[in-house]
Amino acid sequence: MKSKVIVITSGKGGVGKTTTTANLGTALAMLNQRVVMIDTDIGLRNLDVVLGLENRIVFDIVDVVNGNCKLNQALIRDKRFEGLHLLPAAQTKDKTAVTPHQMKNLTNELRKDFDVILVDCPAGIEQGFRNAVAGADQAIVVATPEVSSVRDADRIIGLLEASGLKDSHLIINRLRSKMVKRGDMMDIDDILDILSISLIGVVPEDESIVVSTNRGEPAVLENASRAGGAYRRIARRLTGEEVPIMAMEEEGGGIVDRFRKMLKLAR
Amino acid sequence: MTTAAYTKGELYIRILNAGSYSELEEELRDRLENLSAYLPGTLVKIDIGDQHLTSKQVREIEDLLLDHGFYLQDLMSNGPPVEDSAAGAEEYPFDDMPYYNDTVMICRHLRSGQKLFSEGNVVILGDINPGAEVIAGGNIMILGSLRGMVHAGAFGDETALISAYRMNPTQLRIASHITRPPDGESVEPNIPELARIRAGKVVIEKLKI
Repeated sequence: MKSKVIVITSGKGGVGKTTTTANLGTALAMLNQRVVMIDTDIGLRNLDVVLGLENRIVFDIVDVVNGNCKLNQALIRDKRFEGLHLLPAAQTKDKTAVTPHQMKNLTNELRKDFDVILVDCPAGIEQGFRNAVAGADQAIVVATPEVSSVRDADRIIGLLEASGLKDSHLIINRLRSKMVKRGDMMDIDDILDILSISLIGVVPEDESIVVSTNRGEPAVLENASRAGGAYRRIARRLTGEEVPIMAMEEEGGGIVDRFRKMLKLAR
Repeated sequence: MTTAAYTKGELYIRILNAGSYSELEEELRDRLENLSAYLPGTLVKIDIGDQHLTSKQVREIEDLLLDHGFYLQDLMSNGPPVEDSAAGAEEYPFDDMPYYNDTVMICRHLRSGQKLFSEGNVVILGDINPGAEVIAGGNIMILGSLRGMVHAGAFGDETALISAYRMNPTQLRIASHITRPPDGESVEPNIPELARIRAGKVVIEKLKI
């Protein structure tokens, strides 16, 4: 299989890029893919923390592009999955420590050994963004159902198109179906209407994400986590499998809802 | 015989037995001058009995109302139906459209942060999203949803038109006039609309083609 470089981006900060990268990377590794995740948020590195790999960092991405170490010396192998690797960001430098050209060479180097290369993009549209998209052939845009997030996602899709990346998919993150039902939150159709790109998954708001992030264990490892389940389905879609997108997943127990539906059907 | 009644936020004016259009217009002008001080911005329904108006006259009446701060809600007549003549070839809105030599056609969505400038007309087959800008010396026609900012007649042409399949802009500018949708209520239009300057104001109306 030809390897894919996928950049995970959003424009706005705090919508779940790093969480998405960690969960998709882990879920793809669970599907026996050889995966490397690159943290390009130089100066504000997070991905290692979310994955619980912070204490294993010796070299980072800046060391690699400057030739201070070999690429496979900087790659950290995940403690849970054989095929999952992380290339961490530097914490003491800033975004200008790497150029788009260097990023392109780096991702091309990684293509030799991996099936999927996930690039975790920093917030914003400056050099960090340009670095992250430089070597990518596909983009996943993460947006939450808020006007500000959708606005920034729209801007990012425009910039992706301008840089020649036409293959963009959307993840709607932190959707609260109860609020949508009440009409208090933008629904999926509202967002798709504005962004008009293909939807690859909807991740519900889920408290288990906070817990798993703090523990350094991605939510996809937990079978009970609803957000984790959504990420597992997105990973299957990324490998080419057809998995239907559930528009509104039931929140909570749902017994009453199910009963109501049966009554409706009976009428 | 002329009567005027104000109920439920609407003004109802009845002008019967006006011999000719000029009599009718004069009668209406008198009424409006008396009423405009009390009921600014009111929707008006006018019943003209057996009179028959051409679509040009209907437009004149509409302008007359706008001059006095009223909006024409409905014009009722027992004569030949007004709608027919209004929809006729005479009322084709693009008749008065100013002519520009060059036209740019864009076949994609304009997204936040993207800006398009043209000295002539602009035709867009796609949406204009919030945060995107289109500035044209001439007219702007959007075969999609307008949610961003557009400026037609940017060099001062007050006859420039903006039309959109769905008109829901953050801001509309024609020549030196700047308008925005009213605060609070947001009405999602579900018909194609046209914006132009009439009686010194930017007005949005149903697009009749």
